[in-house]
Amino acid sequence: MVATSRPRTEPIAASPDAVDLRREAVWFARYLIDAEPSEALVERYVRANAKVLHEPPTTRDAAVLAFVHAHPWSLGWLDAGTAFTRGAPRLRQKLVVMMAILEATPDYIEQTAPVDGVGIPRLAWRLGVAGARATAKLALGTALAAVVVRR
Amino acid sequence: MSADPVVDAIVVGSGPSAVNAAYPLVEAGLTVRMLDVGNRDTTYAGLIPDGPFSELRRTDPDQHRYFLGDDLEGIGFGHTGAGAQLTPPRQYVCKDTDRLQPITSQSFFPLQSLAEGGLGGAWGAGSPPFSAADLAGFPIGLEDLQPHYEVVADRIGISGARDDLMPFLGPTFALQPPVDVDSNGEGILRRYAIQRGALNKAGLFLGHPRIAMLSRPHRGRLANRSWDMDFWSDAGKSVYRPRWTLDELKKFPNFSIVSRRLVRSFEERANGEVIVTAANVDGSGTEQHRARSLVLAAGTLGTTRIVLRSLNQLDRRVPIVCNPHSYAALLNLNTLGDGVRDERHSMAQFCLVHAPDGPARPFTVGHFYSYRSLLLFRLIKDNPLPVRESLTLMRHLSPSFGVLILQHRDLPSPTKYCSLAGGDDDRLEIEYSLSAREQQHNDAIEADIARGLRRLRCLKLRTMRPGHAASVHYAGTLPMSAKDEELTTDRTGRLHRTRRIYIADGSVFPSLPSKGLTFTMMANADRIGCHVRSALRA
Repeated sequence: MVATSRPRTEPIAASPDAVDLRREAVWFARYLIDAEPSEALVERYVRANAKVLHEPPTTRDAAVLAFVHAHPWSLGWLDAGTAFTRGAPRLRQKLVVMMAILEATPDYIEQTAPVDGVGIPRLAWRLGVAGARATAKLALGTALAAVVVRR
Repeated sequence: MSADPVVDAIVVGSGPSAVNAAYPLVEAGLTVRMLDVGNRDTTYAGLIPDGPFSELRRTDPDQHRYFLGDDLEGIGFGHTGAGAQLTPPRQYVCKDTDRLQPITSQSFFPLQSLAEGGLGGAWGAGSPPFSAADLAGFPIGLEDLQPHYEVVADRIGISGARDDLMPFLGPTFALQPPVDVDSNGEGILRRYAIQRGALNKAGLFLGHPRIAMLSRPHRGRLANRSWDMDFWSDAGKSVYRPRWTLDELKKFPNFSIVSRRLVRSFEERANGEVIVTAANVDGSGTEQHRARSLVLAAGTLGTTRIVLRSLNQLDRRVPIVCNPHSYAALLNLNTLGDGVRDERHSMAQFCLVHAPDGPARPFTVGHFYSYRSLLLFRLIKDNPLPVRESLTLMRHLSPSFGVLILQHRDLPSPTKYCSLAGGDDDRLEIEYSLSAREQQHNDAIEADIARGLRRLRCLKLRTMRPGHAASVHYAGTLPMSAKDEELTTDRTGRLHRTRRIYIADGSVFPSLPSKGLTFTMMANADRIGCHVRSALRA
């Protein structure tokens, strides 16, 4: 039997472009904790991609990543969209890798450490705001992710 | 053949069973040689500074090396299964096992160890003794184990309390006061105190866990300093590791250890000698060691391989049991928004017992762990929300977050077995499945516990089932039996139809109650060591 087309989820060749990865590191740190990562963290992120995410991305993953690189403003929406649908996990995996790197760095402890003793009213407000933002991002992000992976 | 002298006993392995089986022999002046692969952590041990988790997080620029791993092995995207709970500094515990101890199974995913100290290098230190009811079906009773529980409790150091769990966890042996509970666990225990009557009526009991972690200095080890680094380092040696006993054994001139050796087989000679063949894992050759007796304590699966291979029982099925278990992610509403104390240990904060029929009937045990030192990214990874908002949620909720690890009892059945396949790589083939009735029974218990948790104001967010044997609590391949049957052991741990081959690890447990088996395994190993000592003296 001769295959006439490649399934959408079949892996495509990886493009471990260090320049792309360095850009991702900066965008991801800004997105996650509103901070500019140091050069050491950027290097750590590039290295982590080679160590942890060495499997080639699927076509869906590649489409999402390409869209983010072309339109960095879409990062938050596609993070939400792919988190919910789980159809293209690579972007989320990359964000979690960056999250882990930031969390294991003393410079960003204020932005990543657990928060306690805020009291119920303030806790409810903060969780409510985060929940509302997540809901909005999920609604729009799911639609955007569906469009992006079908392009 | 090795020119080494014949020793009184060869002990195979260096884990919890091995060191405790060796101890009475060595203490009695008998010559003991331990054979073991003995992998060690050569990467992280010297890297983690002494200090509290919160301080290291604030100040140590190299924390990423041990929290994430030099090869980022601490960031994994696989299924939550065997070994998923191991932090980078603990991963040496299962190093080389895929290569040297291969397993084929679709349903059973055990963690094995070739490390110095065995799986005890990463255990949770839960140390509840078995009760008389737990030992039903064993050819030994509580009176046989009791003196050895006391000896081992003193050897390893156990903290706990005389509280509501006394009827289920049994009498206390050389018990140190409990280590302080953290704010999260304290909130739930406060609620339990208010609801005790109703909860006890429903068969739910809470109390301090029995745990091999010191609250007072003991045998050159320090009390736990509440640094919350117990998943990462062994600061002060407060959590028991078999290495501490091994260090004591090494001080005896009649004890020796030969590392980098993987024992392949044994043979009993007509002159009473036991010949043990071991491979050098760093080379290609094998060597032979001679002894008057052999104590196998290489871990259930390691020992099973050696026995089946030595007796040429390829493809012969032997039983296997393990505690089916689940992780329930809980949100503790009692402490939501509250301030929390920084000081805490990382091990179980409290123990839960579900015993609607009382302590004389089988019951279910769970342990509650708070969540902090494993870092938030692991929670975020499994959260179906955008990462940025997940971070906000987890930062605020994690101080009230916890995991209840429940484990159910297990009995042997025809659908639970393993066998050693022939061929070059000596692959163990394991099949394990619960019957529909067993699964329904376990599900009903978990549903009942969930109701009790709601009464404790704990919201169950999610249940994870890491797969059979991921709990590491597996056993029963060469069970103790009162009958003289092949591939079983007698009550002294002697392999039936052999003269001087003893088995001292979990292989000999015919069944598993809903309690961690390690403490009982150690006590039983001490008991078997005492029998071997008597036999050698006779």
